[in-house]
Amino acid sequence: MEEKLISFIRTEYLDDDSLEITKDTKLISSGLIDSFSLVSLQTYIEREFGKRIPAPKITAESFDTVAQMIEIINQF
Amino acid sequence: MRLLFLFISFLVGALVIYWTLPNQKSRTVFLGLASLIFILLADKLAGRIVAVLTVYTYFFSVLIENSKHKSFYHHISVAGIVVLLAFFKYIGFLDDYIHSVTGFFLNSQAHAFEKILMPLGLSYITFRYISYLTDIYWGINRKTDIYTLLFYGALFTTFLSGPIDRFERIERQIKTFRINFAPAFVYEGFERIAFGMFKKFVIADWTGYLVNSISGGSNTFAEKAIMLFGFSIQLYMDFAGYSDIAIGTSRLFGLRIMENFDSPYTKPNISQFWRSWHISLSDWIRDYIFFPLGKISGNKIWLLVFVPVISMGICGMWHGSEMKFAVWGMYHGAGLSVYQLWSLYKKKNKSMKAVTETGWFNAFAVLLTFAFVTFGWIFFR
Repeated sequence: MEEKLISFIRTEYLDDDSLEITKDTKLISSGLIDSFSLVSLQTYIEREFGKRIPAPKITAESFDTVAQMIEIINQF
Repeated sequence: MRLLFLFISFLVGALVIYWTLPNQKSRTVFLGLASLIFILLADKLAGRIVAVLTVYTYFFSVLIENSKHKSFYHHISVAGIVVLLAFFKYIGFLDDYIHSVTGFFLNSQAHAFEKILMPLGLSYITFRYISYLTDIYWGINRKTDIYTLLFYGALFTTFLSGPIDRFERIERQIKTFRINFAPAFVYEGFERIAFGMFKKFVIADWTGYLVNSISGGSNTFAEKAIMLFGFSIQLYMDFAGYSDIAIGTSRLFGLRIMENFDSPYTKPNISQFWRSWHISLSDWIRDYIFFPLGKISGNKIWLLVFVPVISMGICGMWHGSEMKFAVWGMYHGAGLSVYQLWSLYKKKNKSMKAVTETGWFNAFAVLLTFAFVTFGWIFFR
């Protein structure tokens, strides 16, 4: 799951291939991805992992790192 | 003035009874029912609607949680609430239309719905109940009993001007409350109320007085600019003041209501502005309009242009029934779209980074965002 999420984020939202992304990299608060991207991320998670994460659980704070995303995905 | 007097006397009486009750469950039941009585005294029609709407929402919450047809019950329950809200918001328009038709054919001057006005607090409670039903449907929270639901939807400290808090947050507090009255509730509550009253009755009202004294028939451009600037400050202080009073009075009951403002006029872009202005409403629009609309299509134009404009158009319509509010919302939606396109451009042109990350650029961005928002308040005048 971690690898898939990082790979999706890298291809969809980041233009700089040299950036090192780990599960703890701050993505939204550091400005790497914007909160508008969360809509397509929600769709991707549903399609790829079959998990429907409700919008109130997908916030700039709760989805800031891949580790946080995995934690929330596992709750559903 | 009558409403203010009613609110203060009710607040004092409710506080005394609330803190003498033995546990949180009885306090929740009491405050829910007391809030309903307050609303009935303030506006009989609103009180009746709140009572019916609460029973309606409770009934559907049971169906959504227990039925196999969750989706069906969720959609019709939300549609029913939207129809109710739209009925009261647009009945004035409908009346104008009927009036012009009957006037033409029957020479009648009578207004069909002249006496029906938008009931107090309806915009807030309907959005609370829609989020409650949707969160059950999405599996975020489970249904509650009718008294707790009434407490959540109609709490009199937040009934008239929000915030539109979420059930999950409120329930977490009243479920875990094992504490009794603490003096900190009084300090924190009154401090917040004092801040709110200062914002509302000193800054907002005085600024409003100045703005009105300037406005006249033929103002120069500079006078109009000053007026608009003053109006921008007045609106913010007025609404933030009310929110402070709502948060402070709720704190007297030991409750922590969500923050509704976070220095919105200091934000460097319109996206951040909306994360700090009327936060409870913009979060609501994001969760229940923006995201569901965004999932309809992955098309970039849909996501970047149509979704923000439609979502913010609905946000505007929530503020009032006149077309100008929808236009104001779409104006902000267009602003959000342009900001998204700008963000994409910035990302693709790395050389921009050296410019956009400087202090002066940030200051310019704050001023530009403030000017954009302030210009938009023309629709509210």
